Amino acid sequence: MRLKSRQKSLIMLLGAGSVFLLAFFLLPLLFVLSESFVGDDGIVTAARYIAVLVDEQFQNVYVRTLKMALVVTVIAVFAGYPTAYLMMKLRPSRKAMLMSLVILPLMTSPVARTYAWIVILGRYGIVNQTLSLLGMTREPIRMLYTEGAIIIGLLQLFLPIMVLNLVSALENVPNEVEEAALSLGSNKVGTFFRVIVPLSFDGLIMGVTLVFTGCITAYVTPAILGGAKVLTLATLMRQQALVLMNWEAATVIAVVMILTTLVLHTVMRRFRPRNQT
Amino acid sequence: MKHSKILILITALVFIFLIGPFIMIFLTSFSSDSIMRFPPKGFTLAWYTKALNIEMFRTTFWVSLKTGLAATATALILGVPVAYANIRFNYRGKSALELLFSSPAIVPGMVIGFSLLRFFVYVSNIPIGIGLYLGHTAILFPYTVRVVSSSLRNFEGDIEQAAVSLGSTPLHAFFAVVLPNIQSGLVAAFILAFITSFNNVPVSLFLTGPGVATLPIQMLSYMEYYYDPTISALSSIIIVLTVIVVQSAEKLLGISKYV
Repeated sequence: MRLKSRQKSLIMLLGAGSVFLLAFFLLPLLFVLSESFVGDDGIVTAARYIAVLVDEQFQNVYVRTLKMALVVTVIAVFAGYPTAYLMMKLRPSRKAMLMSLVILPLMTSPVARTYAWIVILGRYGIVNQTLSLLGMTREPIRMLYTEGAIIIGLLQLFLPIMVLNLVSALENVPNEVEEAALSLGSNKVGTFFRVIVPLSFDGLIMGVTLVFTGCITAYVTPAILGGAKVLTLATLMRQQALVLMNWEAATVIAVVMILTTLVLHTVMRRFRPRNQT
Repeated sequence: MKHSKILILITALVFIFLIGPFIMIFLTSFSSDSIMRFPPKGFTLAWYTKALNIEMFRTTFWVSLKTGLAATATALILGVPVAYANIRFNYRGKSALELLFSSPAIVPGMVIGFSLLRFFVYVSNIPIGIGLYLGHTAILFPYTVRVVSSSLRNFEGDIEQAAVSLGSTPLHAFFAVVLPNIQSGLVAAFILAFITSFNNVPVSLFLTGPGVATLPIQMLSYMEYYYDPTISALSSIIIVLTVIVVQSAEKLLGISKYV
């Protein structure tokens, strides 16, 4: 009797959410996935995949996307660690203030946030105007619609994610551990690399995973700062689907995106300490 | 001592990098120049008037608002019971269901939007606006589950058990005891989910079309054709509103721990 009522309440609690996701998330996903394996003649084939995967433009875009994601992740780690570490050392009120500044780029409209870089990196933007004022350049340098512009834009979005993950990991590192290492003769740099980093490793791995996969699937930043000149996986997929009306190619790119993300999640999970699944 | 100077320098640069661009938008939004130039010349509010008077921005703002509110409400109604079940019960197949519940956050938004477009709009002829609402609900769902779960975790079940042992039905205890106690988590979930929906581009990208667009999508297509401070003005308005909401939510609820 007890078990039955338990089952009934579980169905009541989980039923609606499960049905919703099955019908409006999983089913469409599986539909698109299965569709991509069927040729025009109705026979199962990998032809659509081969057509996209051997395409040189696709290969270039894929490599570029991975490369930019890697650059952003590395910079985010090197800029994020010192920032998160310092924030941990601050008074709670100061730390709270900086926290709200960190989450600001995550909360603001991606269009507004990315648009700011058009203003900064544009022909008459602050960077070009300063350079020409200093006499360092004769004419404006083209900075928009380059890989560099996309990397900068992505960094503004993903550095906060890295910092948040590192801050919450560093919160679990007791102050005493650091003091102990220092009093036992380790210097500050040594303590940082041999004590602090290993103890906050889980947060680092989480941050790296989120930043890397986020960069691969980000759309707004490469759309605004790269345009059609510098395509990434996301902007290529949009172009295939909505401009060239090549649904098959768009589907294949979507599958590549999902697989890349899943592989990264799986690989990175291996690096995480055992006790925290 | 030298060490911490480097730390301070890096941190300062990081914050200039993160926040500086917002100040830049703000400055150019008052410029009387019609191209984006630095330093901005003159002072005018004309771009604000223009931005607020463009019909497409007004209609798409309402679409974004309605979609955001409807999707957030639905995601909460679906997500709160799921969060409750996952915190209070252990059952068979829990990890598989938890994977399903979190997967809309793992699958790229573009793919979700794209597959909804293919499946519903083309195969079953569902109106695109409904597709937009469904897609947004799906991506908000993991958010609401996560935020509500973490506030349920902090809420001790003792009072609830006390209520039940004093004769309250579990359902009544849920509404009378559990929900009021996780109020701030619910509000935080609502704010985070609504902002996520209101800002979303990847899902909306495929689920908008002639007649139905959200504000961010409309801003993107405006930027393809015009290069004047109108978008600066509109962005400034959105940023200021976001700052007010986020700051007060951070003060009252400590929202950054849920992000």
